[in-house]
Amino acid sequence: MTDDPPAHPALLPSGFRDLLPEAAEEEAQAIAALMAVFAGHGYQRVKPPLLEFQEGLFAGSGAALAEQTFRLMDPLSQRMMGLRADITPQIARIATTRLAAVPRPLRLSYAGQCVRVAGSELAPERQIGQAGIELVGEDSLAADTELLLVGAEALAAVGIARVSVDLTLPTLVPALLEAAGLEAAARAPLARALDRKDAAAVAHHGGPLAGLLADLLLAAGPAARALAALAAAALPDTARALAERLAATVAAVAARAPALLLTVDPVEFRGLRYHTGLAFTFYAPGRRIELGRGGRYLGNAGEPATGLTLYPDRILAAIPPPPARPRLFVPWGADPAQAAARRAEGFATVAALSPHGPAAAEARRLLCTHRLEGGAAVPLAPEHA
Amino acid sequence: MTAPFALPCPAAAADRPLILALPKGRILGECGALLARAGLHPAPDYADEASRRLRFPTDDPALEVVRVRSFDVATFVAFGAAELGICGADVLMEFDYPEIYAPLDLGIGRCRISVAEPAETAGTDDPARWSSVRVASKYPSLSRRHFAARGVQAEVVALSGAMELAPTLGLARLIVDLVQTGSTLKANGLVETEVIAPVSARLIVNRTALKTRPEAVGGWIARFRAALEPG
Repeated sequence: MTDDPPAHPALLPSGFRDLLPEAAEEEAQAIAALMAVFAGHGYQRVKPPLLEFQEGLFAGSGAALAEQTFRLMDPLSQRMMGLRADITPQIARIATTRLAAVPRPLRLSYAGQCVRVAGSELAPERQIGQAGIELVGEDSLAADTELLLVGAEALAAVGIARVSVDLTLPTLVPALLEAAGLEAAARAPLARALDRKDAAAVAHHGGPLAGLLADLLLAAGPAARALAALAAAALPDTARALAERLAATVAAVAARAPALLLTVDPVEFRGLRYHTGLAFTFYAPGRRIELGRGGRYLGNAGEPATGLTLYPDRILAAIPPPPARPRLFVPWGADPAQAAARRAEGFATVAALSPHGPAAAEARRLLCTHRLEGGAAVPLAPEHA
Repeated sequence: MTAPFALPCPAAAADRPLILALPKGRILGECGALLARAGLHPAPDYADEASRRLRFPTDDPALEVVRVRSFDVATFVAFGAAELGICGADVLMEFDYPEIYAPLDLGIGRCRISVAEPAETAGTDDPARWSSVRVASKYPSLSRRHFAARGVQAEVVALSGAMELAPTLGLARLIVDLVQTGSTLKANGLVETEVIAPVSARLIVNRTALKTRPEAVGGWIARFRAALEPG
């Protein structure tokens, strides 16, 4: 132990990172663009705190997050607090408490940072940005459709025009298991097998449902094909109703956004333990990770709600960086009014703080793209090799 | 920020050939007939482990084959570096990547993953009384899960081969390993005391690839499924 070299001052805990110039600005701009689309559709922004009592974070839809939440004791109240791992439960809390009297449907938006105890090998980050919306107090096809369309519009606003959305019915499999009267002990291994789409294990644990589940497992894919498979399957009434609503939602979304690639995975319910209706995941083709997800759930007071969360970090990785803002060097002693005029045109001005040598060389040293000369912005000549 | 690494640009990634990862060793030899029935013919040296090539074209320009270690097939597919792969169920049980779907049991590479111990200690005491047990295995996480489910803490010595030596040389009380015929165990004075699970090769696919390239990836699942139909 005594031989350990001192930790390098730049080393961060695993899963955390600094955003440096340009990247931090790009992130802020992307979040602003997403939030502008949400605001344009009437979603009003709220800002819950980073820490709150754990009961609030883990109520209702938050129950699945307990194991992912950093917890600490509040020295003032002696109660346990959690550092939020997801903002959705906080919005649900606000909707059913402070905003309980506001007329429904209630449209709220948020953007902020979350922290989780551990990352995964595939997604090792432990601090995760979220930007999202919640539509509270309405259980309808129109509400589900609105969320999907607003999500696609927000992604288009940051430059991701080719989006695919995977639609799932997290309650379909439980409805099938219920209708088939499968014993509780048999459900856990079957649910796990379905989660991994492990056909061999589904056949082994599926009992009377093995044939149906195997068909639905392989039906995952383009919406038309999957819906046809659902329509052809012998479903009990509860499951039939879910499938019909899904088909109607697909038709409504396809009519409004024909370019959106829709896929359906009837037996998927991954990570969506709290969802009570249609759930969805946004992908960009060719990207290996989801850009956002959401779905229908029951709020704290049993109020129907549906939400969408986009992940700005992942979105930024999927879009080319926007053109950087031009940087204008303002030499020592130049007229501040001229610099102000250039700022109004969109330049970032970089003022000399002391006398310097040749202006062009000093501008280049400070990583500027232009220099101020005679009131005009003169582009710097490319550096000689 | 995270060091950027040269990902193909999104458009290119969406249209690049699919990659099928095949495992070196035991299963590879049995793959040939199945691939042919699925209408897939990689460059012939793909099955030649002496070949230094790792990436092989096939007769379908939209699909390439890579040959990696069996455990790495799961990693390549989980991270989306390969959209499809073939590997033993043992590898999936060990890694348990949520990003991997295993839509088909290919029925080849059959064996089992088992607990074994020296013939002289087998049956001499009651495992229910153990608090912990030292196990040698190349399946540390699977071994821990297996014993934890029985209330026993497994202290795993991770080895990558020659597991059978561990009990006799005092490295571990038990081993957890693949057993095909049992002859290696027998030759080293070990007996199989418990079968953890039967193992066969699975077709695996990356979850995101199935969602974002459903036609292409789904098409290959269908072709492999058809290749498994009798007759």
